[in-house]
Amino acid sequence: MSTHSPDAAGQRSNRVFYWCLSLLGGTYIVLIVAMLVADLAYTSPQHFSAALAKPEIRYAIMLSLVSCSITAILSLWVGVPLGYLLSRTQFPGKTLVDTLLDIPIVLPPLVIGLSLLILFTSPPGRWFQENVMSVTYFVPSVILAQFSVAAAFAVRTMRVTFDQINPRTEQVALTLGCTRGQAFWNITLPEAWRGLLTAGTLSWARSLGEFGPILIFSGATRMRTEVLPTTVFLELSIGNLEAALAVSLLMIVVAVAVLVLTRTLGLRGTGLI
Amino acid sequence: MNLAKTAFLGSIALLVGLSVLLYSQMAGDRGQVGPTLIVYCAEALRLPLEAIKLDFEKETRQPVELRYGSSQFILTQLDLNKDGDLFLPADDSYLTLAKQKDLIAEVLPLATMRPVVVTRPGFNKTIKSWNDVVAPGVKLGIANPEAAAIGKLVRDHLTKQGLWDAVTKQQPTFLGTVSDVGAAVQLGTIDVGVIWDAITKNYPKATVVEVPELKGITAQVPIAVTKRSAQPTQALRFARFAAAKDRGLEHLHKHGFQVADNADAWALTPKLDVYAGSMLRPAIEQTLDEFQKREGVRITTVYNGCGILVGQMKTGQRPDVYFSCDTQFMHQVRDLFGEPAVVSTNQLVIAVPKGNKHDLQTLKDLGKPGLKVGVGHEQQCALGAITKETFLKTGVYAAVQKNVKKYAPSGDLLIVDLRVGTLDAVVAYQSNVTPYAKEIDAIPVTGIPCAKPEQPLAIGRKTLHPQLAQRLEAALRSAESKRRFEALGFGWEVK
Repeated sequence: MSTHSPDAAGQRSNRVFYWCLSLLGGTYIVLIVAMLVADLAYTSPQHFSAALAKPEIRYAIMLSLVSCSITAILSLWVGVPLGYLLSRTQFPGKTLVDTLLDIPIVLPPLVIGLSLLILFTSPPGRWFQENVMSVTYFVPSVILAQFSVAAAFAVRTMRVTFDQINPRTEQVALTLGCTRGQAFWNITLPEAWRGLLTAGTLSWARSLGEFGPILIFSGATRMRTEVLPTTVFLELSIGNLEAALAVSLLMIVVAVAVLVLTRTLGLRGTGLI
Repeated sequence: MNLAKTAFLGSIALLVGLSVLLYSQMAGDRGQVGPTLIVYCAEALRLPLEAIKLDFEKETRQPVELRYGSSQFILTQLDLNKDGDLFLPADDSYLTLAKQKDLIAEVLPLATMRPVVVTRPGFNKTIKSWNDVVAPGVKLGIANPEAAAIGKLVRDHLTKQGLWDAVTKQQPTFLGTVSDVGAAVQLGTIDVGVIWDAITKNYPKATVVEVPELKGITAQVPIAVTKRSAQPTQALRFARFAAAKDRGLEHLHKHGFQVADNADAWALTPKLDVYAGSMLRPAIEQTLDEFQKREGVRITTVYNGCGILVGQMKTGQRPDVYFSCDTQFMHQVRDLFGEPAVVSTNQLVIAVPKGNKHDLQTLKDLGKPGLKVGVGHEQQCALGAITKETFLKTGVYAAVQKNVKKYAPSGDLLIVDLRVGTLDAVVAYQSNVTPYAKEIDAIPVTGIPCAKPEQPLAIGRKTLHPQLAQRLEAALRSAESKRRFEALGFGWEVK
């Protein structure tokens, strides 16, 4: 009789399999943790509190939180309809639209910023700024720069979400007399709430880290268009590495707090937490 | 209403609430005077400019926005955005580029900087010359020569010495700005970098090393007002503040910049006293007025015969600028002024009523019996002195003296007498006659060098505003000023 039963061999094989996956994936986790530890080691609580004491940095925190929230809401407002249309309908030019929506994702963020800058120096852009509101180098440009990139992620997420929702319940609703709109509001959208949460969180997080387009399109003006990534850049540019790192860690803390909160709210009632 | 619609309406409410919060938190214009001045500023000048901006806003309540970047980057932004009021590159070579694009009006010098080599903490190799900097195994970082002033100046200087090829062979790291280089050296990601001496304080962990091959490179840091500025007076005010020895230059000096010795003292509305010969009045009045308005300064001009003006200066008056009718009067007060520069010439003429009924063609004709002649007072004005000299050199002095009925302190007063008919002929300047060409004929006095005097301009040695005075001089030597001088019959001597 063999001392190695098929179950034991299988379990050993499974352990090896999981170890290999963990090793590969774990290297990335280790890299992230190593970066965080390196940042923490270079700064101190005194630098942290000195950074928070500066009114410019408090303003940057406020602007970052508010602008990211506005961007996330606006991203959902475009992400949901576009995601639904791309998932549920066929229309002329759908492939082109699909490709266009990838542009903000594949283009370097600096190019997005430059393109926005050029857009608002064109005659229609100038007319808008002279007659409606100032954009370039003012707060609306921060939101627009963030939105230009974040919305693309929201669209992708919502499309995948709607793709995964079985259209059958919607179709049943239609057979029971609902209009398309009623079916959307009463059936599809409630079913997509986790996707909404994910899209909103992703947009918010993406906006928080946006720097390149903001630097080009909004400038780096303290107490006006300075967001947290800009603060890191400004502190770094005057050699204040410790303050730059303190703000970087602050961004990490804020981002983690928001992500954990939204995920907790999203997973509540699922039995997973 | 179902949950989805409730959530949607909630998102609208949230959006409105966040927008209101943002609007209320944004820095407003409460108590501030005028639209914001936009300054495109090189990265290396960030710290002193932040301090200067705060002081300026406190003192004048004029809001200022600083936009930073490498020198080439801000030049591109300035050209693209068309909204900048001031341009502050790290070197005046970028001003040349900006002038080629016709972007720049006035320029004020601020400071100078020199590039130095810095080494990272723990770097244990000896650096004595540029060869050590580009030695194998040394990681060198330089700001991109295409974008940053320091990279460009170092590259150009080393190329002239035949040392740049060694740099490119070594394949250095090119970073976006000089601040990036400093940060990289401090962090230790590169061994050696080249940064401005003025910003070495920002990187206390780096070691500064003087390298002989970089000596001779000096960046002249200017601040320039743009031609597109919608508020040039306010822009000039900020530029004057930044360039003032008791304001902006104090901050620059504190941050390690070498500042100019002959800087202006700060005044919100500076005053300039200008002494000018009477004959220059019609040529320069408008230019002075435009300069006053644009700069936001007050100019007090004293027009008189140069003899009188020189007399006043000898008794203690000290104008900031003296524009003389003739070099001999400037010479009499040369110890009070810097090097004079000739701006114009003015032809001596015999002025007669239209028609020249006495048929006067030469100076000798002024001795015709019964003629009533007017000349300038030889001691009170350059006109008089030059006229006498001319009479003496042509040998007609005694003959003409018999007919001289009036000695005036200026040519303009002689023209008045001629026009009202109390004199038959006067010896004056062409510029005195040109405005009345319909009533008066002018016969030029030719063949005698002293009959075409030169008008030099000089700036007072003890003026509190030497740079402002230099800008005034530049305005008087400009193309528009030339047009005004020539329209009055002056010759133009500015090269």
